[in-house]
Amino acid sequence: MDLLLSPQLLFSALVLGSLYALIGVGLNFVYGTIRLLNIAHGDLVMIGAYAAFGLFTALGLSPMFGLPLIAGITAMIGAGLYFGLFKRQLENTTSVEQLEANSLLLFFGVSVILQNTMALLFTTSPRAYQHLDYVISIGGLDMTLSRLLALVVSLTIVFAISMFLKFSIYGLGISAIIQNRDAAKIVGIDVGRVQLGSFILGFGVAGIAGALVSLTEQISPFMGFPFTIAAFVVIILGGLGNISGGIIAGILLGFIEIYSVALTSATYRSILIYGVFVAAIMLRPQGLFGKAQT
Amino acid sequence: MTALLEINDLGTGYGDVKVLHGVSIALEKGKVTAVLGANGAGKTTLFRTIAGLLPCMSGRVRFQGEDIGVLASHKRVEKGVVLVPEGRLVFPDLTVAENLRLGAINVRARAHSDDTLKTVMALFPRLEERKSQYAGTLSGGEQQMLALGRGLMAMPRVLLLDEPTLGLAPGIAKQIFSTIPELLDFGLSILIAEQDVRSTLKIADYGYVLENGLVGITGDGESLVRSPLVAQAFLGH
Ligand SMILES: Nc1ncnc2c1ncn2[C@@H]1O[C@H](COP(=O)(O)OP(=O)(O)OP(=O)(O)O)[C@@H](O)[C@H]1O
Ligand SMILES: [Mg+2]
Repeated sequence: MDLLLSPQLLFSALVLGSLYALIGVGLNFVYGTIRLLNIAHGDLVMIGAYAAFGLFTALGLSPMFGLPLIAGITAMIGAGLYFGLFKRQLENTTSVEQLEANSLLLFFGVSVILQNTMALLFTTSPRAYQHLDYVISIGGLDMTLSRLLALVVSLTIVFAISMFLKFSIYGLGISAIIQNRDAAKIVGIDVGRVQLGSFILGFGVAGIAGALVSLTEQISPFMGFPFTIAAFVVIILGGLGNISGGIIAGILLGFIEIYSVALTSATYRSILIYGVFVAAIMLRPQGLFGKAQT
Repeated sequence: MTALLEINDLGTGYGDVKVLHGVSIALEKGKVTAVLGANGAGKTTLFRTIAGLLPCMSGRVRFQGEDIGVLASHKRVEKGVVLVPEGRLVFPDLTVAENLRLGAINVRARAHSDDTLKTVMALFPRLEERKSQYAGTLSGGEQQMLALGRGLMAMPRVLLLDEPTLGLAPGIAKQIFSTIPELLDFGLSILIAEQDVRSTLKIADYGYVLENGLVGITGDGESLVRSPLVAQAFLGH
């Protein structure tokens, strides 16, 4: 019982949960809004992590200052994939099912390529770097500055994104496309441009999340897949395209993971996330907070 | 005099199924032009093609002399060709105000959206009362007003009205019909498809009858009302 009440555990759960929320928001742009099953999402998180690692070890640039650059790198990958692989698909495919099936296969390829390229370039051995690891103690709670920053930055970004989507005309445009694509076109929304924007934002956010993850744990070319699964859990729990639902779901998942691992053992970590994933799909396919999409 | 909107020998369909086989229609500025036709004649197909939701497989769509048949939908809206679609297609999970805001998303309209909004609210006071209600919870008549309002927010030069009174109670249908001539005061021109042929021909300056994907009879509103063929086909006598 003492263990469960420990502020240390609470803090860890918040850090992980906020990262999951951020990763989920990124996937929501690509899956929630355009219905492309981006199973390479976690690999973009991995690219962001390596970009942060590279900038820090090669140039001494702190990931905190490197964030715009890192986001730019993954966003460019997103834009490249949009023009290279998905633009035509999106223009010519009318059924969501077909789009999901095709995109799953395409992103599977992207995932394999990204993982193996990074393994070739940086070997498969895990990497880590020491940065901002001063300990700040408040009461009984010891926090490394890097984790505290990861928490604050990811929460700030998810909050900013949810406000942006709620109040900007761009956010309204995204909702409009989800609700009725034809109606979106005839009111004058440039559907292609909004989709490109979603790719750029979704991939950019994945890169940022990766940089933050690299501050908190070891990185490796194959670190992405568990994050992909976590992101899908977050989206399914939170509701497709439902950003605020996703934020709550992300934090919830962080808590479930940290507390269950604390109660059992770290070896169950992956099984646990898959368990939540399966449970979410079986029990609430329409999400805890979202309503069913028609 | 050249027409504002000119459809020339337009052919289109769904995949291999051809629905329109060479339709020609001209729309004069400041006028109401009606497209009549039985269920399945191809009216909606024609309107969706003009709006760019369906490809223009053969023939031309010209607006102010420019071929717009190849442009994406949003570019046509930008030019001022705006569809108020059959079935209304409002965004159900957005509020009335948000639906209207999206109506003015094109660059030309966005700059004037505050003024246009006032005009639209004056035209449909019901929308003002319900501006923070979700569009999906509006009544059919209110949704139609919203669809019209959303269309007007785009500052159309040509408004394409596809069955604006479909499924509405007679009283509300009448109300919608009475606002259509008022819309001309905004300097726009209207192409309308309607089931209610009698009311439509009363407000229409000119009409075309579609039959099996071709233009059958054409004429001004008066002459179509008096045409025995139209009377037989639509007016039930
Ligand atoms: N999505 C579609 N796929 C295949 N055929 C279609 C599709 N939509 C319409 N059609 C066919 O095209 C023809 C014309 O339909 P359209 O909706 O244009 O008629 P309409 O004149 O608008 O009829 P109504 O008065 O009932 O609205 C019909 O035969 C219809 O079955
Ligand atoms: Mg129709």
